[in-house]
Amino acid sequence: MTVSALSTTAARPRKPFGWSRLLGRFLVYFLLTLGLSFTLLPFAMMILSSFKTNVEALRVPPTFWPQNFTVENYLKIFNDPQLPLLRFYGNSAFVAVFNVCSTLFTSSLIGYMFAKFEFPGKRILFGWFLTMMMIPTQITMIPSYLILAKLGLINSLWGLVIFSAVDAFGIFMMRQFCETLPTELLDAARIDGASEWQIYWRIVLPQLGAPLATLGILGFMGNWNAYLWPMIVLQKIEVRTLPVILTWFNSTHTGQPAVVMAATVLIVMPILIVFLFFQRWIVQGFTMTGFK
Amino acid sequence: MKHKILALLIVLAIGLTACGGGAEPAGEEGVIVLRMWVHTNNAFIAGYEAAIAAYEAEHPNVDIQLENFDYELYLQTLQTAMPAGEEADILQLFGTWTSQYYERLAPVPPEVMTVEEAQQTFYAAPIGGFIVDGVLYGMPQEFNMEYGGVLVNKSLYEAAGLPYPPQWQTMDDVLADAQALTQTDASGMMSVAGFHFTSADPTAFSFLAGIKQRGGDYWNADRTGFTFNTPEARAQLQWMVDAVNAGVVDPVVFNDETNFVIDAFFQGKVGIGYIGAWAIAEGQANFPDFADEWDYFYLPPFEGDPVFVADSGWGLTVSPNSQHQDIAWDFIKFLTTNPEMAMQWNIASGTIPAMPAVAESPEIAAAMPWVPKALEILPYGQYLGNMPDRDLVVYEIIYPHILNTLQGVETIDQALQAIDTEANSTFR
Amino acid sequence: MESTSQRTRRQHQGLAIAKRRFVASVTVPLLLYESLGIFVLVWAFVLMFFDYSPGRLGGPLLGLGGSNPFVGLGNFIEMVSGDSVQAGLFRASLRNTLIFAVAVLPLNLVITLPLSWLLESIGNRFKALYRTIYFLPVLTSSVGVALIWMSMYDPQGGWINAIIRFFGGTPVAWLSDPRAGFAGISVAMWAVIIAYLWQDYGYNMVIFIAALQGVPQELREAALIDGANSWQAFTRITLPLIRPTMLFVCVMTMLSSFQVFDIIQVMTNGGPNNQTQVLMLDIYKSAFRYQNMGWAAAESFVLFLIVMGVTLFQMRVLRTDWEY
Repeated sequence: MTVSALSTTAARPRKPFGWSRLLGRFLVYFLLTLGLSFTLLPFAMMILSSFKTNVEALRVPPTFWPQNFTVENYLKIFNDPQLPLLRFYGNSAFVAVFNVCSTLFTSSLIGYMFAKFEFPGKRILFGWFLTMMMIPTQITMIPSYLILAKLGLINSLWGLVIFSAVDAFGIFMMRQFCETLPTELLDAARIDGASEWQIYWRIVLPQLGAPLATLGILGFMGNWNAYLWPMIVLQKIEVRTLPVILTWFNSTHTGQPAVVMAATVLIVMPILIVFLFFQRWIVQGFTMTGFK
Repeated sequence: MKHKILALLIVLAIGLTACGGGAEPAGEEGVIVLRMWVHTNNAFIAGYEAAIAAYEAEHPNVDIQLENFDYELYLQTLQTAMPAGEEADILQLFGTWTSQYYERLAPVPPEVMTVEEAQQTFYAAPIGGFIVDGVLYGMPQEFNMEYGGVLVNKSLYEAAGLPYPPQWQTMDDVLADAQALTQTDASGMMSVAGFHFTSADPTAFSFLAGIKQRGGDYWNADRTGFTFNTPEARAQLQWMVDAVNAGVVDPVVFNDETNFVIDAFFQGKVGIGYIGAWAIAEGQANFPDFADEWDYFYLPPFEGDPVFVADSGWGLTVSPNSQHQDIAWDFIKFLTTNPEMAMQWNIASGTIPAMPAVAESPEIAAAMPWVPKALEILPYGQYLGNMPDRDLVVYEIIYPHILNTLQGVETIDQALQAIDTEANSTFR
Repeated sequence: MESTSQRTRRQHQGLAIAKRRFVASVTVPLLLYESLGIFVLVWAFVLMFFDYSPGRLGGPLLGLGGSNPFVGLGNFIEMVSGDSVQAGLFRASLRNTLIFAVAVLPLNLVITLPLSWLLESIGNRFKALYRTIYFLPVLTSSVGVALIWMSMYDPQGGWINAIIRFFGGTPVAWLSDPRAGFAGISVAMWAVIIAYLWQDYGYNMVIFIAALQGVPQELREAALIDGANSWQAFTRITLPLIRPTMLFVCVMTMLSSFQVFDIIQVMTNGGPNNQTQVLMLDIYKSAFRYQNMGWAAAESFVLFLIVMGVTLFQMRVLRTDWEY
């Protein structure tokens, strides 16, 4: 009956090693592996399809394993002048890196200020940020777009950056961490003649390493995978980011599922591997913040 | 301190690019630079590039810079650039859009062309879209005809043992061929559609044409409202339902979203594919490996004369914010009314000419053999009419309700009632 | 003595000034930037009372007025009782959004809770590997997820229909058949729900695993020793202890499913017969396809009210939870 081992100090005589225990064990692994296959199967399908010829990819019923293993789809994408993948990677990287750097800078600075300084209007200002955290982006989407249009920033990667410089959630999180910093440490630095900016840069920031890394990875992931807002702002092909390019590529290559799957592999997989390396931080971030 | 400077630099950089974004492209000394916006269609763009090269050769002091946008986002770009006054000097517009944008467009100067001259020069359907309240706002380049044209797969015809080219006298002949062409796989799913007419434009425009051919109209007398709940509309919708029941197409597997007619036809999954002639260039470009033989034909009318409505077509307009409107109009006149140029553009883009004089030329017949077939019905084309929101009426009202009816989730009565109510509510 | 105290006082004054200058140098740019945020919010609020389209000339102030007329509560009245196509679409989207959120939540819990529990109960050797793999879809771009599932659902070449055909069943046009349904929900909606669940369950699992790790092992063991079976130990001991986490997970899942967009926009774009048209998609189409931005602003306000309602509910329930 029992699934996992009881403590060895159990007073009650334990049932001898039995079939039911083995069955339970087997069931656990069976269910977990079932879930696992369900998780992996779509990935397998994507990767396998990308190595099929287009004729085979359209076959009814579909094949599982590619019969004529080919890398032609990948070559086609690399040689497509309409699809300079590196450029789109550059666009995505620019937006993600710039946004992450700017929000890490502003979040830590403002969070530190809220935690360690007293100034008139502090409560109101903090209350404002708390309110901003609750307002979903879709309500500001339309006027933000109209402002970008007025500024001439539609079709500019800067348009994706300008409204993301301050992140209310990041400020909130950084304030929590800054409050745990010992004030004596900061005061001692002040007595030693350090300027306030030096204290922020040399003392506060290094202490915030772990939460900043978490916030940074989550922010990078969010920016990298963002779809709706980049789709609205970036209308010209050459400035688009990867997710928007992927849907565009799909819509211009209907009837060529193998090529589309190859493009999906090229756009999804590299960063997935990178994210896997940072998995620990991401999991930590999710459990710590509860935000995606 | 360093970091303050860094922060300052970032702010400065943002500011600089913000300013840079809206800047006009700098021209060389004495060269007049005109910007031109078009939607992304490689065949069209090739035509424009050739025309620009020809114009610049005659006018070395003019530099026309072509920029293109994806169709779906072109509209969005126009709508946001125009209020900000940042649109290009020359704008490619679909004729029917003019009634939505005319406030922000420059009227055609009378010395370039008057309304009367334009009506004599072009077919009624293409020019109709560019005239709003008796004022001309642009020049059409093509006759956009969504009605009547079909791609026909010769290989499937021969495999089914049908005579080719098709000998259609009535729509019943088409349906008979289509029934023979349809194939179903072992599990009962339709794998080849005999007659795919269930994409958005073909469905909507054959519905409108059917109403006209049966002697009805979808406009009320003074064109201030729609009348879709009429016996003629009912007869046309019934015809479509009967066609589906006859098994020529499964509207669940073949429609605008799934197995769109161009994609499905050029994968050999459609015998007769109902779509405008513009699809030919696109299909050839997107499916270079398609091996079946095929051609383009026109359907017989549902009833009476092949009367149809046409949705204007692509043409060129000028921004009132342009510094060089005179040159912009000169270029547009050069491209659209000069028969030689217009013909080259139509051949490059694979479109039906907007001028009868060009459409009837032997050069066009040689380059695009389907155009002479279209000439027989082109004179019957009427302009669709200025709707408050053409895309909304066609794509969100007429097409979805008809598709629902064909798929069996709405009755004919429900569909006509809903189309009528919803279409009229676009006049607000 | 005297001089040192003076010096410290002076030093204190100097420090206070430095602090104030620091605060000012941060808050002044911040306030300027935030005024942009306030402007955006005010604009969003004002827009929903207008019939506004950026293509029209409109009045002098932000293009409001003139050909973009003030309609008061007209947009909201239209939503409730209008017979226009927009009003019909809005009501359909609201219904679909509710269906989507209500279906996703229990399904998600039914998958994630047992799986996390099973995963937590096995030895450490495989745990990390299993967890990593379950986590993969969360890290994948939702556009990629949508494309992968689109090809899985393909009526002709898709694997799902291939499996159905293999077992002799009738293949289904998953993403385009408006007639077929199951449990009162259309197949297309089920299809996007499954794709969405697939992408999302790893996220909740991670949170549940963290919570389960926090449950003291001794409590469970004590219960088992007292004769409870594993199931009883789970429902009586573990479940109550992770209740706050469950509540939190419920609310977060609810909130993100109310705002679902990417997967549905790519997979079905709202079809067939608007059966998967959800609020975010409707807002996007109204604002950017049909340039009906006043209407779209009013729609986003409705979505905002829903999201706000769920958030406030969460805060209230969690607070009462903390009390004991």
